[in-house]
Amino acid sequence: MFVKIKTFHRKKIVAVFALCMAAMLFLIGRLGYLMLLRADYYSEKAQDLHERERSIKAARGKILDCNGKVLADNKTVCTISVIHSQIKEPEKVIDVLTEELGMERDQVKKRVEKNSSIERIKTNVDKQTGDKIREYDLAGVKVDEDYKRNYPYGNLASKVLGFTGSDNQGIVGLEVKYESILKGTDGQILTMTDARGVELSDTGEGRKEPVSGKNLILSLDANLQEYAQQAAYQALEQKQADSVSIILMRPGNGEILAMVNVPEYDLNDPFNLKKSTNGMSQQEIQDERNKMWRNGCINDTYEPGSTFKIITASAALEEGVVTPEDTFSCPGFRIVDDRRIRCHKTTGHGSETFVQGVMNSCNPVFIEVGQRLGTDAFYRYFQQFGLLEKTGIDLPGEAGTIMHQKKDIGPVELATISFGQSFQITPIRLAATVCSLINGGHQITPHFGVEVREDDGTLLETLSYKEGKQIVSEQVSKTMRAILEKVVSEGGGKKAYIEGYHIGGKTATSETLPRSANKYISSFLGFVPAEDPRILGICIINNPQGVYYGGTICAPVMRTVFENILPYLGIEKEAAQETDAVRIMDQVEHLLSAE
Amino acid sequence: MRTKSGRGDVLLVCMVLFLVVFGLAVLYSTGSYNGSVRFGDAFYYMKKQFFAAALGMLAMYLISCMDYHIFEKYAIAAYLISLALSTLVLFAGNAYNGSRRWLSLGPLSFQPSEFAKLAVILFLARMVGRQKKKRNSFLNLVFVIALVLPIVALVGTNNLSTAIIILGIAVIVVFVSDKRYMQFVWIAAAGAGMMALFLGMESYRLERIAIWKNPEAYEKGYQTIQGLYAIGSGGLFGRGFGESIQKLGFVPEAQNDMIFSIICEELGFVGATILMLVFLVLIWRFMVIAVHAPDLFGSLIAAGAMGHIAIQVILNVAVVTNTIPNTGITLPFISYGGTSVLFLLSEMGLVLAVSRWQSEKKCI
Repeated sequence: MFVKIKTFHRKKIVAVFALCMAAMLFLIGRLGYLMLLRADYYSEKAQDLHERERSIKAARGKILDCNGKVLADNKTVCTISVIHSQIKEPEKVIDVLTEELGMERDQVKKRVEKNSSIERIKTNVDKQTGDKIREYDLAGVKVDEDYKRNYPYGNLASKVLGFTGSDNQGIVGLEVKYESILKGTDGQILTMTDARGVELSDTGEGRKEPVSGKNLILSLDANLQEYAQQAAYQALEQKQADSVSIILMRPGNGEILAMVNVPEYDLNDPFNLKKSTNGMSQQEIQDERNKMWRNGCINDTYEPGSTFKIITASAALEEGVVTPEDTFSCPGFRIVDDRRIRCHKTTGHGSETFVQGVMNSCNPVFIEVGQRLGTDAFYRYFQQFGLLEKTGIDLPGEAGTIMHQKKDIGPVELATISFGQSFQITPIRLAATVCSLINGGHQITPHFGVEVREDDGTLLETLSYKEGKQIVSEQVSKTMRAILEKVVSEGGGKKAYIEGYHIGGKTATSETLPRSANKYISSFLGFVPAEDPRILGICIINNPQGVYYGGTICAPVMRTVFENILPYLGIEKEAAQETDAVRIMDQVEHLLSAE
Repeated sequence: MRTKSGRGDVLLVCMVLFLVVFGLAVLYSTGSYNGSVRFGDAFYYMKKQFFAAALGMLAMYLISCMDYHIFEKYAIAAYLISLALSTLVLFAGNAYNGSRRWLSLGPLSFQPSEFAKLAVILFLARMVGRQKKKRNSFLNLVFVIALVLPIVALVGTNNLSTAIIILGIAVIVVFVSDKRYMQFVWIAAAGAGMMALFLGMESYRLERIAIWKNPEAYEKGYQTIQGLYAIGSGGLFGRGFGESIQKLGFVPEAQNDMIFSIICEELGFVGATILMLVFLVLIWRFMVIAVHAPDLFGSLIAAGAMGHIAIQVILNVAVVTNTIPNTGITLPFISYGGTSVLFLLSEMGLVLAVSRWQSEKKCI
């Protein structure tokens, strides 16, 4: 019934088996290729697929003043969230969170019971509360720590320091300028997840530690800043002014010790305009904020007025077109082209030397000096003194000089430029140039940043700035210091005089555009000690009410500041007689050298 | 000549038991994630498979105790039943993943195509084993192939892969029963030509080829790529049993066709090679049993089973390693599928029954 099996059947069965075995051995070979030779390629791809990165924020570097006082640091805050699927005792979770966070029970209940993968309950919870909640050890409740920028002095130097945004990134001021130093590198937690993105609890976490940002050490001195801010606020109130700015800096190296722009704003609450925003569009609100954050010393330009005469005088002395002893005559005005340009003293100063002309801040004298210089030379000195460039200060948004094109400078323009009108520069530009003119003649770059250090104090980097170029001779610089000291001791800057100190300076009053508005900017620029300036200060009052002469209102502010800070800076008063003795010695020396 | 030895092939039994137990363990490991995500029960797939395997073991034992010759009488009937069931499934079947492959009876579901494979092995063994007249002509071949074409066509409408397996079994049975070799080379050539024509007819089939060549460039290459990631992650010794990450939703339906990739990831090249060798030992035992069978009917049953297991293992591993374009073929004993395990074990029972009737003449 059944067919017998034959030899060829057997052979064929063996043949089929041989074929199958060959195929399977080939596949084992293929497996070996994939799993051993290509393993790195595929396992890396798989790894990328499985790993989810969760970043750990790096602490931002601190900003410290020259005495190590912390101006900006970080506060640890917590974010409380719940993971719905991991909650075991929902009632208890609701109770604890309601109590500890001080929130409405219904609100907490709604979020806890919401069926989402992760629900945020509250952010910016202080660390103490966060730790307390963590101690309850409730399943499904997550307490994540985060950093928030904190400014211990509130509004101190607000327009210099700036603040950070929600991602801890600098937005304005030094915070944004030194972003790369302060920022640090975020760390990462690598977790494995399944295809839905759910973290696998039993897989080991790879962790890359965050690297904290570096600390920035400033030349700014919180004490000086505070003195200056107080004085500025006082002047702001007394004169009902729009704003008052004060800069204190070292003429020798451009380090800024204080930069005040009142009204300042609260760095810990920088978006609060402190006034009703009802009826304002989003754009208007943002414009108001930008205005509030603006640093007038750097971002805004103004007509410097008579303080600019320092520059005209230096240029003329350097060019040799005038000597201190040259005599001029002021009838109270001067005709340039068809225009009659008045002196502030309409009756005229009469016959005066160049030095007296500076002391009197006499416009006709400077018009003539400007004419002696001529457009070409004047423009050349503009360039030489850096007036056409930005100072390069380490703050963002420095405004450039607004100046006539050289070809557009006619006799009238030349005359007005000579006494600081018809063009605009920033206060910091003026201060930086004057620093160079009185420090022996070498160029400086105004700056705040001095050093970069680790949190433990290790010095990482000393910041350096462009400086050293001689822009005026030492002799001219010395002459200028002497002339400007006379301005304070005997001339228009008398109100800045402090018994026992040699103070150099110059006042200014300029009318803002449009002239018809009758708004003024008053200023005073002074430095101490006049022979070897260690500190230079400039005070600018914007739109003062009532008396608006710089010599009357700004010089006293500067005097108050100097009185307070000079002893602190270790600049000692000299005994009156000694002062005279030195002066006599100087004169003798001068006579000898002249012979 | 026909002597009952009384004992089945012990090594075959061992290999089958190993595969069943290993398969359940791997299925638990692989299916626990999908089971708990979809059904809230990590043991979901493993439990169902366990019952099918238990039932299959019982069937295997009972069948192995029987005289396999009595199945000759029912071979044609079994074939007709499988035709009927395959027709029925076209109209009353349950669709899963877009294909109608299951017949439901209360809580039990049944995949007729799995039964069809066993039925075809029996049917062909009966038809070829009975031929007394020497018809070693080409017509004879065409006749045998023609016999299975109805079931190939029926199964092929919604399960092309199984149809190919059935056709493959038929070709192997015919090849074994025929004396010549050369004509099979022609058949292979003709088959290749047909295949090319078949692929060219539909653009989506050509797309499969393109995906095969460069799976990373296509969205539809996702399953293949994920399988390769799993295999590549295994390395020499693997991540360890139960430690696969690719099974966590990355490899779609990891407990089905792609289960071998998870075995590679967890047990490494060493584990995967051992599994391949176990399958090789299994088909080697089939060959030994086929060669030593007392008659052509028994020999062809063993040869058919050998072809069946070999084709499925080779195609499955080839697909998972992207050696050939993707097509859905399960790994015998390991992949999830109750009907598959039940009938595979029944088939093993049949081969074991044959192994108890060994011919005295031992040539291999």
